Amino acid sequence: MEVARTYGGVVASQLDDHPNRAAALINFGLKAESFRTGHLPDKPMPAAYRYLNHMAIKSVADALKHPETLAWTNIFAPVELLQCFDLECVSVEALSSYFSGFWIEDSLLDRSDAAGFAPTLCSYHRTFLGGFESGIIPEAKAAITTSLACDGNVNTFRHIATQSHIPLFVIDVPYQKTEEATRYVVRQLREAIALLEQATGKKFDIDRLREAIRRENRSKQHYLSFLEKRRKHLYPATLTLTEFTLFATHLSIGSEWAEKFFEMLDSDVEKYPVDTSHRIFWVHVTPYAEPALASYFNYSDVYSIAADDFNLDFTGQLDENHPLEALAEKLIDNVYNGPLSRKVDIVAREIEHYDCEGAIEFCHWGCRQSAGGAQLLRSKLRDRGIPMLVLDGDAVDRRNNQDGQIRTRLEAFFELLDGRKGGTA
Amino acid sequence: MIGYVCKYAPIELLHALGADPVRIEPLAVSFDAADACMHPNVCSFAKAVLEEMETGSYEGIVLTSCCDSMRRLYDALVDRFPEKFVYILDLPRHTDREACSLYAGQIRALARAYQEFSGAEFNRGCLIELFADGLRTPGQLRANGRPGQLSVGIIGARYNAAVGKLVEQCGMSVAFDLTCVGQNRDLSAAFGDGDVASELPELNDNELIEVYSEALLGQIPCMRMADISRREAFLKKALPQVDGVIYHTVKFCDMYAYEFASLRKLTDVPMLKIETDALRQSAGQVRTRVEAFAESLREEKGLMPAPSLIHRKGTAVYVLGIDSGSTSTNAVVIDGEQNIVSSLVIRTGARSIDSAHRACEEVLEQAGLKREDIAKLVATGYGRVSVDFADADITEITCHARGAHYFNPSVRTILDIGGQDSKAIRLNADGTVADFAMNDKCAAGTGRFLEAMARTLEVGIDELGPLSQQSTNKVQITSMCTVFAESEVISLIADNVDKADIAAGVHRAIAGKAYGLMHRVGLEPVYMMTGGVAKNPGVVAAVEERLGATLYICPEPEIVGAVGATLLGLDSLA
Ligand code: SF4
Ligand code: SF4
Ligand code: SF4
Repeated sequence: MEVARTYGGVVASQLDDHPNRAAALINFGLKAESFRTGHLPDKPMPAAYRYLNHMAIKSVADALKHPETLAWTNIFAPVELLQCFDLECVSVEALSSYFSGFWIEDSLLDRSDAAGFAPTLCSYHRTFLGGFESGIIPEAKAAITTSLACDGNVNTFRHIATQSHIPLFVIDVPYQKTEEATRYVVRQLREAIALLEQATGKKFDIDRLREAIRRENRSKQHYLSFLEKRRKHLYPATLTLTEFTLFATHLSIGSEWAEKFFEMLDSDVEKYPVDTSHRIFWVHVTPYAEPALASYFNYSDVYSIAADDFNLDFTGQLDENHPLEALAEKLIDNVYNGPLSRKVDIVAREIEHYDCEGAIEFCHWGCRQSAGGAQLLRSKLRDRGIPMLVLDGDAVDRRNNQDGQIRTRLEAFFELLDGRKGGTA
Repeated sequence: MIGYVCKYAPIELLHALGADPVRIEPLAVSFDAADACMHPNVCSFAKAVLEEMETGSYEGIVLTSCCDSMRRLYDALVDRFPEKFVYILDLPRHTDREACSLYAGQIRALARAYQEFSGAEFNRGCLIELFADGLRTPGQLRANGRPGQLSVGIIGARYNAAVGKLVEQCGMSVAFDLTCVGQNRDLSAAFGDGDVASELPELNDNELIEVYSEALLGQIPCMRMADISRREAFLKKALPQVDGVIYHTVKFCDMYAYEFASLRKLTDVPMLKIETDALRQSAGQVRTRVEAFAESLREEKGLMPAPSLIHRKGTAVYVLGIDSGSTSTNAVVIDGEQNIVSSLVIRTGARSIDSAHRACEEVLEQAGLKREDIAKLVATGYGRVSVDFADADITEITCHARGAHYFNPSVRTILDIGGQDSKAIRLNADGTVADFAMNDKCAAGTGRFLEAMARTLEVGIDELGPLSQQSTNKVQITSMCTVFAESEVISLIADNVDKADIAAGVHRAIAGKAYGLMHRVGLEPVYMMTGGVAKNPGVVAAVEERLGATLYICPEPEIVGAVGATLLGLDSLA
């Protein structure tokens, strides 16, 4: 941790005058894996997560090193299409987390504010924009984003695409599912494909997409099967690993390595002891750098995250015979789409299914979809007898977290759960 | 009465359904209800709409799926008002044929739902008539205002009536309005020159709604749309035709700051960015900025306000300036030759007007003059409007610029850190304002912050600067908020960190904020620092280090604004 901190200081001090050097340092840092993951070296990381950890860091490092295969996306983008063009997807969220892992998010956030972007904007987006303004983000081949769940996307992507003259396609995901809505998205996916063909000079091969979809379906089956077994067994994890799982469920879903990871999860979990922890359902992002949360959850056998809505935002199987329709429906059916009442039902069902005692939602600074709905979600879950804790903080900007406040709320919530469970731990 | 908030709402159709659609332009007194069911960080407009709905006079509301805040507002309203007609239209971000027919489907579904709710009939003739009217109204860009008036464009997120009124009061007429709701919607933009209006009666209902949807989506796009090239094209044409632009953003709405950031790089048209939060009490907060902006535009155009003629012939001329700030009240008297006759700085008491009276009396006494000897008395500063015995009032922005120019004509960027606010001003060569930025919302980076830190360190405010100069180690204060910075400092003290190092860290934190502010107006040397904090050598050194340049500090950095006020007063007598 201290290594990354000092290292971050070095990078930050280079930012102002030598953007290229800073970029080189970051590349080097990614390769050297001096990245701060919050993992305690003395605790054994399960095999599947070791693999995930390695691949997640590698995928970003490789992409940054080879911008000719780099595509900027957001976390919900249909990466299966981009894989057909051998593009490596790096999302705004992922890269900002990385910058935060190097302790340079503060300089980048300041840079974003000075450039005139709203300081109230989600700090994933601000960190990314700050990095872009500082010139430490290499130019990508193309950018693909979706309107799903998140306001920042359209404007952040438009800004970087216009400034760096790279092609951009915004996939607009309708709020309601109708046949027309699906057709509308399919048509956009076709346009995105055309744009990618032009940007890469490669021809789209639908059989490759089918292959990716088959891998994706198998991956999701393994994941669900893992979570099923995880109801009995405690598979040790950290907040960082929960966040890294998003690489496999989202940015790299459909890839060979993601499938391998899910296979490992599925086959490994039963080797672990019986789960006696307080099982928590997590809503939205996991702030891996937040000390109180990390100290309670990382490799803990007292409190564990049994499942989270982000990694489970779409669990259906895709129809390989109608791959574009399937991808369109995947976007529209996402838990993060549509009215909150839909999310309430899905989340409540998952909490029950995965035997969770309660839920925690982390309202990340600037995330309106999360903040705007958290109180309502809390009261709806309460009506169903499920306790939920809403925490405010920032998953990227360390300056913006009040650890004391988070700790107090968290401990009070745990005391409440202990009381319900009959006083353990 | 049914509320709507978006220019893409099918207002004409709602009329044709017998509804009485009204644009909601809320000014809330508090966000208590909204904060309870949403979150304080949701866009303040959305929160104000929720508060407005609480008043009960609406039968319902038609929203669009504009942004996350709007979508969550919908969720909250549905939950809160199950008996009202709360409806959200799924507004596409693209505007091609498929998108238009998708939206047409949405509009039809809305019509069905409303008919079910109210039992009203759809009046086709009414829709055709209103739609045709909309098609025939002229485009967005209005003719310039009266000669001698300033013409401005307003861009950004929706603003409320109070802001509109303020713009008008400052003598600016609005040539175009490209904000969220847009006061005049232009439904013809999609169709070029074709006469669509006269063809409407020929269409069947389905086709009519298709064309209507096309017209709605064909308006000049707002920032949430995927393709904004028509917006850019419009601005390219419209910007050169106005004297200035007021860019309005809403607190906790992020969408429009992007456009502001890129427009700044794109155009030389003077731009003022203001942010409001839909609360009644904060409407006046932007007054100083808008006034100062109008003043600077007027100056640029050579449209100075008519000089008042209080000047009595045959006697020596004296002008008195009072800068009524929140922490200090500063007064200056100059003569007709621009010599400073007397000046003074006193602490502002509980009532700023009393302090202004006292400062006025004392500065006159010092100069050996009486009130009658003063040809013009000009007030500036935060409390300027309440100085009722002044002949004129001018904002501290314009006055500071002029005063700085007086002390050192080569100055181009001023940093002013006062007790409650801080600002950066960029000057033209003649001492007029080229650009400015202000921070008056939070204590970070102001004198108040320093005072709090001095208290925590248990040293006098005047000792803080010299103390920090003994620092040997770099300590970082990262918190941006006074409250948290205080606890950070306390824990540093508990860790036995040297007070001198902490003081230096505090100064660097302030310098960082100040630098950001100066960066926003453009960093053009020569730099000058004014205001009470300029007397703190620690802050000065920290800002200089951050800037990599020296700061010019005049002999009494607190009277710069008051001196500027007297000089502008003297100008008006000429
Ligand atoms: S945290 Fe929220 S606002 Fe930020 S990128 Fe994610 S969904 Fe968007
Ligand atoms: S930003 Fe656009 S969609 Fe949103 S309310 Fe304004 S005009 Fe409507
Ligand atoms: S002001 Fe901004 S955030 Fe608020 S509703 Fe309008 S577009 Fe959305």
